[in-house]
Amino acid sequence: MRPLTPQRIVGICALLCGVLFVVCVVSLRMGAYPISVRDIVSTLFNAAAGRRDEIPVEFWQVVFGLRLPRIALGILVGASLSTAGAGFQALLRNPLADPYVLGVSSGAALGAIISLIVAPHTVGAIQLAAFVGAAATIAAVYFLGRRGGQLDSPTLLLAGIVAASFLSAIIMFLLTMVTGSELRSIAFWLMGDLTAPPPTTNVLGWLGFLFFVFIVAAGAMYTTSSDLNLILTGEQEAKHLGVNVNRVKFVVYIAASVLTGLAVSVSGAIGYVGLLVPHVMRMLFGTDYRMLIPTAAIGGAIAIVLADTLARTVMAPTELPVGAMTALAGAPVFIYLMRRRMR
Amino acid sequence: MWQDASLYSRGFFVGRKFTRAGRQLVCVIYFLACCGVMQAAAIAPRQTAGFKRAMKFVTDETGRRVAIPFSVQRIVTLAPDLTETVYALGLEDKLAGDTTFCDTPSAAKLKPHIGSPQTPSLEAIVAMHPDLVLATTSINRPETVDALLRLGISVYTSDPHTVRGMLDSIARMADLMGAGEQGTALVAQLQARLDAVHSRIAELPLVHVLFVVWEDPLITIGQNTFIADALGWAGAESVIVADQNWPQVSMEEIVRLQPEYILFTANHSEANDDQDLSRLRTRPAWKALKAIQMGHIVKVDDEITKPSPGLVGAIEQIARELHPDVFSLEAHGESLELQGGAMREVFASIRRERECDFCVL
Repeated sequence: MRPLTPQRIVGICALLCGVLFVVCVVSLRMGAYPISVRDIVSTLFNAAAGRRDEIPVEFWQVVFGLRLPRIALGILVGASLSTAGAGFQALLRNPLADPYVLGVSSGAALGAIISLIVAPHTVGAIQLAAFVGAAATIAAVYFLGRRGGQLDSPTLLLAGIVAASFLSAIIMFLLTMVTGSELRSIAFWLMGDLTAPPPTTNVLGWLGFLFFVFIVAAGAMYTTSSDLNLILTGEQEAKHLGVNVNRVKFVVYIAASVLTGLAVSVSGAIGYVGLLVPHVMRMLFGTDYRMLIPTAAIGGAIAIVLADTLARTVMAPTELPVGAMTALAGAPVFIYLMRRRMR
Repeated sequence: MWQDASLYSRGFFVGRKFTRAGRQLVCVIYFLACCGVMQAAAIAPRQTAGFKRAMKFVTDETGRRVAIPFSVQRIVTLAPDLTETVYALGLEDKLAGDTTFCDTPSAAKLKPHIGSPQTPSLEAIVAMHPDLVLATTSINRPETVDALLRLGISVYTSDPHTVRGMLDSIARMADLMGAGEQGTALVAQLQARLDAVHSRIAELPLVHVLFVVWEDPLITIGQNTFIADALGWAGAESVIVADQNWPQVSMEEIVRLQPEYILFTANHSEANDDQDLSRLRTRPAWKALKAIQMGHIVKVDDEITKPSPGLVGAIEQIARELHPDVFSLEAHGESLELQGGAMREVFASIRRERECDFCVL
């Protein structure tokens, strides 16, 4: 096998970024509102040049009000979920691990539901409550998952699964108390939904803040990538090779949980991306985490933007839940790659 | 190779490869670049679309303060009941688009669609350049309304919980659409029909009914729904008292409460009344109900599920079926005389169906 060089990582990431760019352009072009590539280019050009008056109001609404924010949110959520998935798969040394395995999504969902019951019409309350719920679950599972003062993978996995099912039970109980209109919001939230508007009018600032958090968490995880490679061969072996296993586990646990909480609080629980994309990237580009973390992030972004484009267009004008699209499109791709590798 | 180098080296590169410190440096540079891009993005122009025309500010029924043009020429409805209201007001020419669920009156099916009420395409709504979008809390999601308002599109959200609230809501929406007079006339006429029903049954005791929203699992209505209020207008009362809108109840409880009548909605099953009855008579818990044994089943017009003008027709139907003694055939004809104008067309089809039902029984 060829040695992994920074050039190779950068090259493959650039390739994937190119694919992501193409997907974004396609996504920007497709939709219920008919708009030509030329109009999109001229809209973008005029906006960049500050000539706001020359853009027809509807083009502005569709391109800047609807499609671009949604694509940006899709990139953010997809990248967060699959980076978190890759992190949890190494941390728990379990190929079935996904961003939701440790109960983070259940905690976020519980927070969202409580906010819908307590303060149903408050702008931004759902996102905030979901993040608080996710953070509380992260902390609880962390303390439950320790053994002798250190994170122990099997204990952590069990603690997470127990927390997830306990919180789901509370959610089922609360759902019987919720009346009609809130129930609809929750149902969409549990399926994963990119259509909800951001909680502030300053969309750029909001997206910028989310990307900042993503970069911090994903960057922190990336600093541990060579240690994760060693931990995957065995914790004892990694310790003998000089890896501070506890510190690495702590960093990966917090980073992956923050990424999951971030994604869940803005888009609800979109499934499968965090499980499938890291595996697909492993099959395509190898299992080295120095390569896997960036490729998984970009791959996750591609997957969500693509799935959301399909969700918007296949049944237009009705939109499908993006979570259904990720599973529908993701599972066959995954099986194809898995079978091809086994040959 | 790279691994070994990064463990022992303190530089940023070993040969042509990054060390750990090198990678951290790259991360920091990336960060700063991101911050710079965000700074640049923050000074981009902010959106102020859609406020070019003369607007008035109104507070909608969910408490949102919204700007609505004085002259409304293009309307988009996000729910079937709103579409029906627009048609009942005779404003169908101004209706630019409706949902894929809108089927009453049948002409509404031919209008351009914007998707389902819960997952409409916002782009499709923008493409119709509406002056006013009508939404309702009974089926739309608040997220949809917020997103449209964010785009600078005028949205009025109605929130009817009672029959009276539905009438008020119709009057307000008619006013916003520049059809205040038609609205007043429509509301007065609907109110007259309700009063006509009420005057006949006011002295009678309330009939205890089970309103079946869904059969398996058994889901019925809560006391705060407009259906519960409509039942009151028809001289009936649900046996179940619940705060939730759509409570799931146990069959045992129904057997214990023994409702006098069972109410189904007409589209609940394609089968006719007799087949329905014989099917229910074979089911263990249902056949223990006296209402089933006596054949006290009412198929209510679908309009009962929508807070729209057609709801009044459904109330009349329920009242007739539950209190057959005070509604003779002549009286039925008389109540039809009260309907006039735009209503006549809208409800012609419904009325025909209802008369057929009536004849069978």
